[in-house]
Amino acid sequence: MARWALISGLRGDLEAYEAIQEDLRQTRRVDTLFVLGDVIGPERECNALLERLQQPRRGEMEPQCLYGWWEDQLLAERGYRGQRRADALRLSQGETAIDALLQAVDPAYMDWLAGLQLGFVELGCALLHGSSVAVDDSLGPNSSPLFLLDRLTRMDVNRLFTARSGRQFRLELSGGGIESQVRDLEGQRHHQQSVPPRQVIGIGAGIHYTLYDPGSDRLDFLIAGSKPQQRARGFA
Amino acid sequence: MIAMAHAVISCLHANFAALEAVLADIDQQGIATITCLGDLVGYGPQPNEVVDLVRQRSIPTCQGCWDEDIIEGLNACECSYPSQLAERRGHLAHQWTAEQLGEENKAFLASLPMTLRRDRLLFVHGSPNSQHEYLLPDMDAFAALERVETAGAETLFCGHTHRPYVRELRDGSIRARVQDGAASGAPSVERQINLPMRRIINAGSVGEPRHGNTNATYVIHHEDTDAVEIREVPYDVERTCRAIVESGLPPIFAWRLRHGFEYAERADDASHVCER
Amino acid sequence: MSQTLLISGPPGCGKTSWILNRLQNHRGPCGYLRLAGYPDEGLVQAPDGGIDLAYLQDQCPRLLDLADPDQALASRPANLLALIELPQFQPPADSGLAGVDRRVIPQLEAMHLSPDEHLHFGRDDLLPRQDTLDFNSLQALERNLAGSVWDPASLSSFWFELVNGAYGDVYRAKALMNLPDGQAFFCNWMVSQEGSQFLPLQSIAPPDCRPERLSRLVVQGKDLDPTALEHTLADCLLSDAVLELQQAPLRQRQAPSHPSPAK
Repeated sequence: MARWALISGLRGDLEAYEAIQEDLRQTRRVDTLFVLGDVIGPERECNALLERLQQPRRGEMEPQCLYGWWEDQLLAERGYRGQRRADALRLSQGETAIDALLQAVDPAYMDWLAGLQLGFVELGCALLHGSSVAVDDSLGPNSSPLFLLDRLTRMDVNRLFTARSGRQFRLELSGGGIESQVRDLEGQRHHQQSVPPRQVIGIGAGIHYTLYDPGSDRLDFLIAGSKPQQRARGFA
Repeated sequence: MIAMAHAVISCLHANFAALEAVLADIDQQGIATITCLGDLVGYGPQPNEVVDLVRQRSIPTCQGCWDEDIIEGLNACECSYPSQLAERRGHLAHQWTAEQLGEENKAFLASLPMTLRRDRLLFVHGSPNSQHEYLLPDMDAFAALERVETAGAETLFCGHTHRPYVRELRDGSIRARVQDGAASGAPSVERQINLPMRRIINAGSVGEPRHGNTNATYVIHHEDTDAVEIREVPYDVERTCRAIVESGLPPIFAWRLRHGFEYAERADDASHVCER
Repeated sequence: MSQTLLISGPPGCGKTSWILNRLQNHRGPCGYLRLAGYPDEGLVQAPDGGIDLAYLQDQCPRLLDLADPDQALASRPANLLALIELPQFQPPADSGLAGVDRRVIPQLEAMHLSPDEHLHFGRDDLLPRQDTLDFNSLQALERNLAGSVWDPASLSSFWFELVNGAYGDVYRAKALMNLPDGQAFFCNWMVSQEGSQFLPLQSIAPPDCRPERLSRLVVQGKDLDPTALEHTLADCLLSDAVLELQQAPLRQRQAPSHPSPAK
């Protein structure tokens, strides 16, 4: 089975994207490229990258794109989210950031951005920028396992790939359980539930990207243009 | 008087006779503290009478999904109607209620908070996340615990399902192996967290029971022993049925209430969280 | 050798089910005729509206309609099993052919039908024993549902309400109902029986319009509430717009796939 490449957080950086595409050209058995949002940002002009995502060059992998936190803020500010505006961005970084974001993206790309989905589910894996609860849900290696398990349960998937934290990590639920006792008008019942062997994977951001083999469950955390940093072995 | 006991009622649905009977039952036991988990109105024939009584008794109340919908002018989450028939009946009930409810009572419903908190007790209509989320008794135990824990409570009182229950989640633990990609070559780190005991208590429904008979239900929490009692209270159902017919609501609502059925079926999907 | 049986009995005793079983077990040609019956002392025979014939023809596609005037004139095939169904509340005074209601004989003669045997439910041992019911002052209600399509979940709710007395004290309910995926169901309930029958018809209507086949609801009982029933029916049936929303994906799935153009 062929592998997936997962990237996020390019924030308009076409050079970083090209570096990743170059890496992938030299990597065997990668047939799908997922882009988990945040392709735009206020730091630089994003139009060239947006154009490239929609019109890949010969030899480049065609990206499957989702929307991330920055896309959501821009869509809200441009009126694509009903009454909501980019309140979170305004609160955290002020009006200057709003202006910069608006300047960074040509309105001609808004419809394409508006058409992006929140997430994909493939082969028992969920791929989202944050989580199914919210695009700004930041799942990291230090997040509570109870919290991470809940995010996996909501989507009923074995693997959840997320990008919001910007971190590369793999958290594997390896054991545990809980006792549940219910009493109602019909009587009592008792149930023991085990922790399912599920995982949450942070895929990184920018030139930090991830390769995943759904067949063997093997994960590689990589930096574009470098040799493989680490091989995180899958668990059969 | 029962020391250190409080009562929790929910889902009144404009059923005045049922509310009167439940309050009489609570009063007769000498319980002074009552909390209401919302849905004061919806389907039933006496929305103003029920809201007036709750206000008169100064019962702390959190906002239910029907209360919210009447104020917002929306119809209840459409994904929660499993049939066109249920949806049409729900819409009719919504429109009728909105027309009947006085402005002061609407303002009261609009003023209701989403949640109420007292020490480590949290009171919500559906779940801490949403008035529309059902916390069913057999939902994933870890997900149920997460709802209570993330809200910073020890005991969560909820309604919305119209079927009372007491659920205790104990002896929980989760083990995890974490590999941090940033630290190249570092081995995985093992972690274990032990989960605290938490409870979810569903108060059932005063005005629209779904547990198989016509009795109103509510719960009493004895804080000194931490015991929880599920109470069933019979009431004069025919009085409400007559009021339904006299008010011009569909007679089928009276038939359904009389036979212990909900007015319109709701889809029970614990994993569904209304996008709205 | 041909055989003509007259089967009589009160509503819901199982005449049609027994008849279907006989038809399916007969190797040769079959024919069916349903007589209207007679209103006896305030007991209104609900017009069947063709529900039984439509259902039987769906299950036995070669079934001859003996009510068809052409059939009366045509020569009957050898080895024809002709089954005549007669709704009849009261048991016959006499057994066998002597007990046949005198009023049906001229009607049968006009159709060139002469029963060889008469069996009455509740009396003859050859037929399954059914609970006998005391019928007094029975009302009937009928709705033509031709062209109507039900929301399936609403149909379940409505039927539950109907047979549990929400629209009056119902003794018998029978219907042919259309669903949006083109299926139709024969719905059948009798107060003396446990549970309803929901039997799918073989024929499937195309997902591009409202079905043209017979669709009807027939109810017998007391203190029936037609107004409330109509109200519920209106809430259960799909509008053109909603029907189109449900049929469009079915049409797409059925459309033949075209080879993709060469790149």
